[in-house]
Amino acid sequence: MFLSMIRIIKFSLQDITRNIWLSIVTITILALALLSVNMLLTVQAVSQGAVKAIKEKANISLYIKADASEENILSLKKQISSMALVKSVQYTSKQDALNYFRDHNKNNPQVLNALKELGWNPLSPSLIISPGDVDKSEDLINDIKKIDSDIIESRDFSNNSALLSKINSITSKINDAAMVLIAIFVLTSMLVAYNSIKVAIYIHRREIEIMRLVGSPNSFIYMPFMISAVIYALCATMLIIALFYPFLSLLQPYLEVFFTGYNINIVSYFVENFWPVFGVQFLGVAAISILSSWLAIRRYARV
Amino acid sequence: MIKLVNVEKTYSRNIKVLHNINIFIRPGEFVSLVGQSGTGKTTLVKTLIGEEKVTSGQVIIGDWDITKISKRQVPYLRRQIGVIFQDFKLLPKKTLRENVAFALEVCGQNQKKIDKIVTTVMRIVGLEDKADRYPTEVSGGEQQRTAIARALVHQPKILLADEPTGNLDSINANEIIDLLLRINNFGTTVVLVTHNREVVNNLKKRVITIDNGAIVNDQENGRYFL
Repeated sequence: MFLSMIRIIKFSLQDITRNIWLSIVTITILALALLSVNMLLTVQAVSQGAVKAIKEKANISLYIKADASEENILSLKKQISSMALVKSVQYTSKQDALNYFRDHNKNNPQVLNALKELGWNPLSPSLIISPGDVDKSEDLINDIKKIDSDIIESRDFSNNSALLSKINSITSKINDAAMVLIAIFVLTSMLVAYNSIKVAIYIHRREIEIMRLVGSPNSFIYMPFMISAVIYALCATMLIIALFYPFLSLLQPYLEVFFTGYNINIVSYFVENFWPVFGVQFLGVAAISILSSWLAIRRYARV
Repeated sequence: MIKLVNVEKTYSRNIKVLHNINIFIRPGEFVSLVGQSGTGKTTLVKTLIGEEKVTSGQVIIGDWDITKISKRQVPYLRRQIGVIFQDFKLLPKKTLRENVAFALEVCGQNQKKIDKIVTTVMRIVGLEDKADRYPTEVSGGEQQRTAIARALVHQPKILLADEPTGNLDSINANEIIDLLLRINNFGTTVVLVTHNREVVNNLKKRVITIDNGAIVNDQENGRYFL
């Protein structure tokens, strides 16, 4: 059994090397199919990262009048916290706001001097409201607008839900296009793998004829072609890994610039998910090429 | 033992190539199957090695009823039957020794046993000195002897020779027939399919004549009479 397996692998490798250009074309097409899958994954990872980051920052700020009493502010905080769509409310006092401002501008002496010359704290206290569900931000904004309180100076309702729906819409369109691309590549891969094995069978027709004549088991006749299909899949996956990580490393700085302030790291996403991503891709492309090879063998090798 | 009972073979569009064939060949017999080209001799050989299914009738080889044989069993049947053809069917990129060894490699035999068997059969066919040559470096007769060596590696009980002398001159053809007779003397049943009148007449063995897919003559110590 072990000896037969070694011989099957030997025949398979002979087949690949004897038809090296055909093998290269097959591997390239399979790699292109994998490239389209990985591009789709990249788009999804980036969009998911962006959505998550935006959701984390989708807070609503209520600025309180400077002369409002602590008691009234805490009462307002309690009222807002009790709302169904509110996840949490954070109170920033005048002093906290000043401390944060000073800390934030510690390297900017001009700003700090201006504050010093002013001689008093110009900053307002505020309530930072985190929504429970960002997709329902619109409803929460309406609820907050309805609050009738004298101590509210201004309300910052920058609407993140519109941005989120825009990202979701773009991602969905890209996904649709990518799915069509993947379908085309999968079909092309099947045709190319099928034809590669067909040509290999044609080249080996005399060996196959003799194998059948001398009583070789059918498995020994078709297994080298199946092994070739798996080797094609393995080479295509390795090629895509070798090409994709440098590509991601080149892409990462652009993503950082584009998503300034958000923590999106596409390289670490692919490193952390290496086996689920590339393991599944290898299994998928191996299944495609094995299926194509099996169809070609059944038709042309008559085993 | 080979037994064919009421064998019929019809291809699509009602083309009948074998008609009511009844043959019994005893173990160790030497039989010549003769007839003009296109009379169904090769189809008969193909049915004997399980490559063609008969339309009706029964084909028995030893203990195998090959009309009921499954696809999975065909390789095991073929190891019981050695076959040689007019065109030798050798792999040009393998040496004569490698060509013979290939038949054992693909059946999962270990290397030590392969070396031993190949050396033995190459000696039987008288090619031990030329074993490392390629098919293009030897004569047609020597190529056919290599094919015979390959057919012998599984120690078959039956050897089917389908026009083995068709591509050879008379000297090489006689050498091959002598070799087949020697193999027959070891106890192997030999079925020689041919339309070579001289070869058949010199053999003085049983001759079965086929014409238009039917047996028209079956004679011990027979002659080619068509």
